[in-house]
Amino acid sequence: MSARADPTLMKEIGLFGAADVSACFNCGNCTAICPLSKGDTVFPRKVIRYLQLGLTGQLEESPEPWLCYYCGECSATCPREAHPGEIMMATRRWLISRYDWTGISRLLYTSKAWEIGLSLVLGLIVVMLFALLHGPVVTERVELNTFAPVPSIETADWIVAALMTFFLLTNAGRMFRFTMRGVKAGLSVYLSEISTFFVHMLFQKRWRECHGPKIHWLKHFLLVTGYLTMFFLVFVFLPWFQTDGWNVSSLFGYYATAVLLYGTVDAIIGRLRRREEIHKHSHHTDWMFLFLLFSIALTGILVHVFRVVGLPHATYYAYVIHLAVDAPWLILIVPFGKWSHLLYRPLGMYLVSVRARATSTAAAGGVVPNPV
Amino acid sequence: MNVRAATRVFDTLVIGGGIAGLQTALDLADLGLSVAIVEKDASIGGKMIGLSKVFPTLDCASCITTPKMAAAAHHENIRIFTLAEVSSVVRRGEDFTARVTLKPRFVDEDRCIGCRLCEYACDADVADDFEGGLSSHRAIYVPFTNAIPQIAVLDPEECNLCGKCVKVCPTDAVVLDQKPREIEIEVRSVVVATGFETTPMGARSEYHGNEIANVISPLTMERLLAPHGPYGRVLRPADGKVPDSVAFVQCAGSRDRSLGVPYCSRVCCMYAIKQAMLLSGSLPFADITIYTMDIRAFGKGYETFYHNASAMGIEFVKGKVARIDEVDDRNVEVRVEHIDERGQVEERRHDLVVLSLGMLPAADLRDRMPIGVSADGFVTVPKPTIEPCRTTEEGVFVSGTAAGPKDIVDAIAEAGAAAMAVSVYLKKKEPEGCAACAVTAGSDTP
Repeated sequence: MSARADPTLMKEIGLFGAADVSACFNCGNCTAICPLSKGDTVFPRKVIRYLQLGLTGQLEESPEPWLCYYCGECSATCPREAHPGEIMMATRRWLISRYDWTGISRLLYTSKAWEIGLSLVLGLIVVMLFALLHGPVVTERVELNTFAPVPSIETADWIVAALMTFFLLTNAGRMFRFTMRGVKAGLSVYLSEISTFFVHMLFQKRWRECHGPKIHWLKHFLLVTGYLTMFFLVFVFLPWFQTDGWNVSSLFGYYATAVLLYGTVDAIIGRLRRREEIHKHSHHTDWMFLFLLFSIALTGILVHVFRVVGLPHATYYAYVIHLAVDAPWLILIVPFGKWSHLLYRPLGMYLVSVRARATSTAAAGGVVPNPV
Repeated sequence: MNVRAATRVFDTLVIGGGIAGLQTALDLADLGLSVAIVEKDASIGGKMIGLSKVFPTLDCASCITTPKMAAAAHHENIRIFTLAEVSSVVRRGEDFTARVTLKPRFVDEDRCIGCRLCEYACDADVADDFEGGLSSHRAIYVPFTNAIPQIAVLDPEECNLCGKCVKVCPTDAVVLDQKPREIEIEVRSVVVATGFETTPMGARSEYHGNEIANVISPLTMERLLAPHGPYGRVLRPADGKVPDSVAFVQCAGSRDRSLGVPYCSRVCCMYAIKQAMLLSGSLPFADITIYTMDIRAFGKGYETFYHNASAMGIEFVKGKVARIDEVDDRNVEVRVEHIDERGQVEERRHDLVVLSLGMLPAADLRDRMPIGVSADGFVTVPKPTIEPCRTTEEGVFVSGTAAGPKDIVDAIAEAGAAAMAVSVYLKKKEPEGCAACAVTAGSDTP
């Protein structure tokens, strides 16, 4: 198998947050300390080696970064203080930008100005759309559904959802193509492993194999449940959720808001304190992710509070701001940014298990597997 | 010329009675200069006297160290203070005044004849640190077989004050009410030869060096290999089993920024290979593995030594051990990425594991005397390439591992260089002719 060496790869990964890949002297401590590193999927050293050698192609095909949950044990024990955990994180960011065919990911990850600028533009577009297209402003009482009728919002929802899905799926398709390059697996193998995808997507099961306290997993799991609850409320149950009266869906909204606020504030404090390995390094996209998610939860609950208290103007303004922070989240962060790990992580794990099964079946059947 | 012992005026004060300090003292004394050696332990000999054999010649360490110790002890120009610690060195014009604390030995050094009757009478057993804690000595004891001076010392922490030693001593040498004493020594120059300590066994928590009985330090392995060691043969400490599989974990205390020891300790590769070779002699059927990031066989004959070990069947595995755990039957499991075997992560079991610990400076003298110390804790040598023994302070020199990690070959070479540097310095201070020249010239007024 031929390989092309790209001498700029190490410099490039620096743009994605890996401070000094060349510090690594390849002792293998990181790989051996990691409880998730076993069998044919060994990391982080292999990934770091690809970076040092500039093996862009091999790196692109590696699902390993998606198998790491960043407990930080490798960074804490690295004899060179090369921060292998953060190199894996930066490689995940780089992979997201490689999977993305539009080039938007790369812009967001490599330029603070582009990320902030695009987010502001999208927010302003939402504000302008409301300025031009909002419904009648009832000031005697709060009538949010008159100001912003559910059918219009739902239509916008679905347009955004369609866009999101399109970009996410086409990018995931590229990930699939890169990762499975040279692997031959029948449909039955793909079907037999499909549960892996959902188990890891919903429960992050693999994370629980990391050493140390399970509290990070638990916090993240709560965040996932809160996020998914909110997702369904907004995209499926909007007619019930966005009501001027009271609906049982509000209870779910309370749960989701509480969990999102707790999770994001906790992560922001962690990243400011920089005590745990997982919080020691923060890329500008990490801050944007947390800022937007926190703002969405905060403005969302403010809309609710103002409505219940009976402040029409405050409710409408809060609603516009809420959607103005929703827009960069849904249009940028979900398909092109950090959110996409919700798809790539379980997909990576799924493809690894498909690959392993395909290789073992081929070996058992006496067929020589394609060298990878 | 005789030592001006009573007046406690010497040409040179050597701090530390290990192999480097002894060699410097012997060379100076042979030049006719008077030397005081201050040693913190009860015997001179330092780390080397505890070793089994030394690389690359596989000389018996006892056989080549004991004569040096004896030569120093019997030299007419050398005065040795054991159980003594320098509490300060102050410059007085061209010279120095050193204050030295003599810790109580509870045995009169002038009376004790080293007959050991006290030791045989004593009931209190104490873990013997010289033997890596694998055997015991009594509360009153001669430090080890070939200790110099051959004088008993009493451990007040462990003594149960039964008084048997006092009664049995034929020379009434046991003095239970001895107090620490301070003495002053006037010298014209100082040589720091304070040596090294190994990185602590518990430095890296994932290795569980203090918790697993069958994970031992390299100095303990030296004692297991020494013919007069704790067991007289190689057995593992936890259960006395003859080990079938022994592993060495390299860089367990050096080249590791996470431990604050970024430098290479230089000796670990070679001592591990040497111990592996000696083990293949004493345990011909045992599997011996050395886990290493890379082998640094830097000296004359060292690369050959390494290849010989490889040819003898000692396995070298490339990969830094990340984790060590105790498993069934008190065996030890190491987790390592086998880099040369497609980077597979392997969990391998061994009967006995040696952590190849690195070298840390044994003493920090900054608060006690004028001397520069580098960020790594070793004595600063401003011009290491051309003046390897000169420190930041005029008249203060350094010898051996106090200046940085090095093996015995280099420590001895440097010790000789330190002696030469001191004698040149003293000669220049005394233009009319120093003591050494006076001796060679046959003059009667030194």
